[in-house]
Amino acid sequence: MKTGAFSLPRTSVVAITALVIFLPLGLIFWQSLLNAPFFNPAHRYGLSAYAFIFEDPDFWSAFGNSILIATGMVLIALPLGAALAFLLTRTDLPAQRWIEVMVLIPVFVSPMVLAFGYVVAMGPVGFYSVWARSLFEDVPWNIYSLPSIAVIAGLTHVPHVYLYSSAALKSLGSDVEEAARVAGANPIRVAIDVSLPMTMPALLYAAVLVFFLGFELFGLPLVLGDPEGHLVLSTYLFKLTNKLGTPSYHLMAAVAVCIVAVTFPLVLLQRWLMRTAGKYVSVKGKATRQKLLPLGGWKWVALGLVALWLIFTIVVPISGIALRAFVEQWGEGIKLSEVLTLDNFRGVFESSEQVRAIINTLLIGVVGGALAVACYMAIGLAGHRQRGGVARILDYIVLIPRAIPGLLAGLAFLWIFLFVPGLKELRNSIFSVWLAYTVVWLAYGMRLISSALLQIGPELEESARTVGASGARVLKDVTVPLIRFGLLASWLLVFMIFEREYSTGVYLLTQGTEVIGSMLVSLWGAGAIDQVAALSLINIALVAVGLAVALRFGVRLHE
Amino acid sequence: MLIANMKEGYTMRLLSLRFALLACAVFSFAVQAQVPSGYPADYAKIVEGAKKEGKVVVYSTTDAKLVQPLIKDFEAAFPGVKVEYADMNSTELYSRFTSENAANAASADAVWSSAMDLQIKLASDGLAAVYKSPESAALPEWARWKDMVYATTFEPIAIIYNKRLVPAEDVPKTHADFTKLLTTKADKYQKKVTTYDAEKSGVGFMLANQDAKLDPAFWDLVKAMGARGVNQQSSTATMIERVSSGENLIGYNILGSYALTRAKKDSGIGVVFTTDYNLVLSRLAFVSKNAKNPNAGRLWLDYLLSKRGQTITAEQAELFSVRTDITGKDSGVGFSKELGNAVKPIPVSADLLSGLNEAKRLDFLKQWQVALGRK
Repeated sequence: MKTGAFSLPRTSVVAITALVIFLPLGLIFWQSLLNAPFFNPAHRYGLSAYAFIFEDPDFWSAFGNSILIATGMVLIALPLGAALAFLLTRTDLPAQRWIEVMVLIPVFVSPMVLAFGYVVAMGPVGFYSVWARSLFEDVPWNIYSLPSIAVIAGLTHVPHVYLYSSAALKSLGSDVEEAARVAGANPIRVAIDVSLPMTMPALLYAAVLVFFLGFELFGLPLVLGDPEGHLVLSTYLFKLTNKLGTPSYHLMAAVAVCIVAVTFPLVLLQRWLMRTAGKYVSVKGKATRQKLLPLGGWKWVALGLVALWLIFTIVVPISGIALRAFVEQWGEGIKLSEVLTLDNFRGVFESSEQVRAIINTLLIGVVGGALAVACYMAIGLAGHRQRGGVARILDYIVLIPRAIPGLLAGLAFLWIFLFVPGLKELRNSIFSVWLAYTVVWLAYGMRLISSALLQIGPELEESARTVGASGARVLKDVTVPLIRFGLLASWLLVFMIFEREYSTGVYLLTQGTEVIGSMLVSLWGAGAIDQVAALSLINIALVAVGLAVALRFGVRLHE
Repeated sequence: MLIANMKEGYTMRLLSLRFALLACAVFSFAVQAQVPSGYPADYAKIVEGAKKEGKVVVYSTTDAKLVQPLIKDFEAAFPGVKVEYADMNSTELYSRFTSENAANAASADAVWSSAMDLQIKLASDGLAAVYKSPESAALPEWARWKDMVYATTFEPIAIIYNKRLVPAEDVPKTHADFTKLLTTKADKYQKKVTTYDAEKSGVGFMLANQDAKLDPAFWDLVKAMGARGVNQQSSTATMIERVSSGENLIGYNILGSYALTRAKKDSGIGVVFTTDYNLVLSRLAFVSKNAKNPNAGRLWLDYLLSKRGQTITAEQAELFSVRTDITGKDSGVGFSKELGNAVKPIPVSADLLSGLNEAKRLDFLKQWQVALGRK
C-alpha cells in the first residue's frame, strides 16, 4: 500500500498522541527522580523518593490491597458483564430497553458519590442497615471491610465489561450461533462455546481495563476504606500529599511510576494474548442478520439475577444519595418525615459557581465528548490496517494514561499549562480540562473504536482500493461509515464519563473551568455535604436526561 | 451637510468633555469617600490603584457560599473592584500557588487559608509581600507575623457529640474528662470515636502537634482513642456527618466554626469547648509578592481585617472576629470571656514551621501511630 506508515496526517496524529501522553508522563517520571518540586531551584537528583516509599510498610499493605481489589473486580465484573452483554444482545430477555439504560448508570455516577450513597444506605447506621437490624437483630454486613470494597467495586464495574463485550457482540453476525442452535445446543451452551470465544478480544481488553481501573480506584476506597484504615495505592498516594506537611510531589510521582510499572506488563500480556486478532474478523462482505435466541423458561431466572444486580448497584446507593439530598440530617433515631427539605437544592441554584459548573459539565460532555471521539477516531484510523511499528506503538501507549491516577494526571497537566510556553493563556479556559479528560480517558474511548475497527473485514476496504479509491477515500467512504454506530455509542459513553469525572479537574479548577466533578470534591472538603448530595443528584439527572434524549433520537447502543 | 456634520461633531465633543469633567468630579469624590476613617491620607492611592486594576484574585480554603456576604459588601464598598474568588482545599491551594509563582503565571493577589503552617511557609519562602496593614493595631499580638501574615478569624476547636445518643453526663468538659470517658465507658464508645487522621490531614497534624505541646497528658488521650478503635478521617465535614448520623458518637478536634454552623440546622449535633485549655485556629491571609493586582490585594486584606469586614465575618460567615475591639458573642473577645485563660490561639509564628521539618514530622507521626496502637 502506497499510503504507507509515514503519510503526513498519520504521522502528525501519532506525534500529537505521543506528545500529549508522554509529556505529562515524562514530567511525572522526572519528578520522581528529584527530592523537591521540579520548579524549585533547590532540587537534587536521587532515588530518595523510591527509598522512602519502599521503606514505608503502608506502601506494601496498600500494594497488596490494590492487587486484591483489582483481582476481585476482574473476577466479579468479567463473568457478570459478559453474561449481561449476551443476555441483552442475543436473547429475548424481557424489558431489554429499560435494563440497557439502567446498566449504564454506575458508569456515570462518580465513585465518590456512589460510595457516599452506600454509607448512607448500608453503613453501620444507614437506613437499610437500621431496617436489617430490626429484622435480624444485627447488621449482617460491614461495608468498610476490604472484601466489601472489592465486591462493591466489582459490581459497579460490570457495565465497563458489558459495554466492550456488547459492542463486539452487536457487530457479530448471529449465523454462527444459529448454527449451534440448529445442531441442538441450549442457550447457555451457545453463550459459552460460541459467543464467548468470538468476543474474546473485547473481553481481554475489558479484563485488563478493569484491572487498570482497580489499580486506579480512588473514590470508593477513599470513602469506604478510611474508617478501618484500608489503603490502596491511590489513597496511599493521596495520603502522601500531606504526610510531610507540604505536598510531596516526588513521593506521589514515585508511587505513580510504581503503578505504571505494574500495569504496563499487563498491557504487554494483553497484546500477546491478542496476537491473533485476525481470527475474530466477523463483519464480512456478506449479508448477515441477527436473530434473537429464545430463552424459554430461563428468561425469568435471568431477569431475576439482573434485577438483583441492578438493585444492589443502582437502587441502593442512589436511593441513599437521593434521600440525603432531601433531608437535613439522617441516621439512628431520626424520623425522616420530620427532616425533609428542599433547601439543599436552593443552595445549589443560589450559587453562581455551581450553576456555571452545571453548564460547563454539560458543555464538556456534549461538545467536548464529540471532539474527544473525533480525536480517538483519528488515532484509531492512524493505526488501522498498519502492521508496522507505528500501529503497535500506538496500541501500547494509548493504555498508559489510564494507569496514572487522575488526581496526579490533573496536576501534571496544570504544570504543562503553566510551564510550556504559549499555553498559559489556555489554562483558564475549559480547554485545559477538556484536554486532561481526553488524555486520561484515552484508553477507554480507544477500546470502543478499535473493537469496532477490528471487526471490519479487510476485503471491504480492499475492494474499494481495487476500484481505484485513494487511502483517504477508503477511510471516508468505507471504514468510517461502517463504524458509525460504534462512534455514536462512543460519544455517549465518553459523554457519561466526562460528566462524572471528578479527580482530574481538581487542580485545573478556576473561575470559568468549574465542572460538577471537581466542584463536588471542593464542596466535600469544605463540608457542604448537603450540596454534595443535591449536586450529585442533579448530575445524575442531567446525564439520565442526556441519555434518554440520545436514545430517543436514534443513537442506538446497538444495531 | 458638511457643516451640519461638523457642528454635530463639535457638540458631541463638548458633551463628552462635560461628561468627562463630571465623571472626574464624581470619581474623585468617590475615592475621597472610600478611604476608611483612621487610615493614612495616602491610602487613596491604594484605592485608586485597585480601581485601575479592576479586580482582586483571592485563593481561599473558605467555602465560597460562606464568604458571599463579605464579597458583596467589599464590592459595594469599593465599586469597580471585582472579587474573583476561588475556593479549594489547602493542599491544592499550596500546589497551585507555588506552581503558578514558579512559572511566573497569573496567580492569586491575596491568599487566605486555614492551613496556618503552610501560610507561614509560603511567607518565609518569600512569596508574601511585606505590607503593614493600617488595621494591624486592632489585632492581638499573636495574630500577625512580620508585617506579612495576618490572622483574620478566631475559630475555637471543639468536641462534638450526638445529642440523641450521648447522655449529658457523658459530655466531657476537659481533656481529662474525655480520656476518662473513653476508658470507663469502653463498651459504649468502642468504634464510636472519630478524629482527624494526622497523616492525611495537615490541619489534623497541626492540632495534634499543638495538643502535644500544651497538654502533658495528651498522649494518654491518644492511647485511649486508639484503644477505642478511633475512626480517623481526613475532613471535618465527614466527621460531623458521621456523628450526626450516630455512626460515631463523639468527635475530637473538630473545627468549631463548621460544627456550630451545622448545629444550627441539625438538632443532632452538640458542640462543647474544653475548660482546661481550648485551641483556637485562625485563617491566615497575606498579599502575594508577585500579585498582578497588588493594590486590590492590599485593599482586600485591609477590608478582611477592618471592623466592617470583621463584623460580617462574625455575624454572617460565622467564623468569629479576631479584632480586640469587637466584643460580641461571636468574637474572640466574647469567647474568651467564657473560657478565660483556657483559650489558646495557635500563635502566628515561625514555630509552626517546625511541624514541616521532615524528620520531626515523621517522628511525631510515628509516636502518634504507636500511641494509637496501629504500629
